Amino acid sequence: MRKTRILLLSVVSIFFLVARADDFRFPLKSGSVRFAAIGDMGTGDAPQYEVAQRMVAARQDFPFEFVIMLGDNIYGGSAPKDFERKFEVPYKPLLDAGVKFYASLGNHDNPNERFYKPFNMNEASYYAFKKGNVRFFVLDSNYVDAKQLAWLQKQLQEAGASDWKICYFHHPLYSSGKTHGSSIELRSLIEPLFIKYGVDAVFSGHDHVYERVKPERGIYYFVEGSSGQLRPGDLAKSSITVDGFDSDRTFMLIEIAGDEMYFETLSRTGNQVDSGVLRRPVRTPEPAAAK
Amino acid sequence: MMQTKRRLRHVSQAMLLAAMLFSGWPSVAKEQNASASSPKEEAKNAAEFKEFLDRVQTYVALHRRVNSSLPALKPTALTEMIAAHQQALARKIRDARPNAKLGDIFSEKSRLAFRRGVKDEFQGPHGHGARATIRQGDPLKEVHLRVNETYPDGAPFTTVPPTLLLKFPKLPDEVAYRIVGSDLILLDVDANLVIDSIYGIFPQTI
Repeated sequence: MRKTRILLLSVVSIFFLVARADDFRFPLKSGSVRFAAIGDMGTGDAPQYEVAQRMVAARQDFPFEFVIMLGDNIYGGSAPKDFERKFEVPYKPLLDAGVKFYASLGNHDNPNERFYKPFNMNEASYYAFKKGNVRFFVLDSNYVDAKQLAWLQKQLQEAGASDWKICYFHHPLYSSGKTHGSSIELRSLIEPLFIKYGVDAVFSGHDHVYERVKPERGIYYFVEGSSGQLRPGDLAKSSITVDGFDSDRTFMLIEIAGDEMYFETLSRTGNQVDSGVLRRPVRTPEPAAAK
Repeated sequence: MMQTKRRLRHVSQAMLLAAMLFSGWPSVAKEQNASASSPKEEAKNAAEFKEFLDRVQTYVALHRRVNSSLPALKPTALTEMIAAHQQALARKIRDARPNAKLGDIFSEKSRLAFRRGVKDEFQGPHGHGARATIRQGDPLKEVHLRVNETYPDGAPFTTVPPTLLLKFPKLPDEVAYRIVGSDLILLDVDANLVIDSIYGIFPQTI
């Protein structure tokens, strides 16, 4: 027990929001990790296409290398025509440019999406990958069983402390969405692992809004569930909300450079909805328990 | 009253959090199970689920045999291949068990044990959370899927409450528990096929 406690990381949650202004600019530092985040996008309707076009335009100034997908990738069916209309056509310019997509499964996704090569899931409904100094842990929040929890614990444990740790999955642990809100039961099971092993940021979808949540127990949470779907007026900003947006579709751009994470959330029409720089929390080993 | 309920919920979450922080997850799961039932009860549960788990293994052996008769499905950009594999697998499994019916896998004893487990969950400290989890998963209403029926394409998958999954017997990767309406179904994941069901196990009022 004592050994466990000594190893236990106590999180000193020092998050600095050092920039939030209209003149926000990504630093585009050499070797930084640049990606986009989209959630609840796979409708095949015009707004999804418009967001995709905005992503293509944004990439001219911010050359992101990959996209994380926060679930509900393909709504309404899993026939070939669905993949075509709801993924391949809207994101064709990005796919053609070599941008990779890494999907997580939402409650509207057929689990066999894990065999779809452009989603880079390698047949697994939960998996991990690494880019630069960032480790990504992709969960299947539809079905969190003991096996997945054990896998997550092992992955986080082996990841060490030097890299950023980002988890993403469909159901948000914290959300002020009126329709769904926070997944409290899921939170009670996986948040302790996030805390224990020093997860830095978590991205989810499911509620069809954008929300940036106050750091919770040293972890930064985002809800990005409006990259295709939208529930206008569904965000009931609450004490956990730092910023949010529920009147149009959005997507996120993120750059991680050293210990800083720069992010910008843009609307379908290209307006900046949110932006900022987050410093990675300083984590120190917990001192040995007093005898 | 509401405040007291909320406080109790927070206390139970905090206790769970503390337990997990000071020990590894698998041992926490064991402790949770242990605290929920005595060794005698655990032995009884194991006995009740044994036949069910034996039948699951028999089914999975069939699934693997049928699957190995098909061209192996590897990650592909050809969505026609993914769809064709799913459909062929479902068809061959149906052909292999044409007379499959309710209760072929969920044995009578296990059905009673599952019902008891669900009832305990919904009446216990995690009941509120479990209900919320199901509600948040856009549950299908008033739908009963039959054995050997394909899960409706495009219909959402309701999240199975993780606290419930920790109580249920573990399954091989080929099959999964799913919730449809008030039913617990056993789904062949790759074939997207219902292989058994327990009707009316969940409260109608979720």
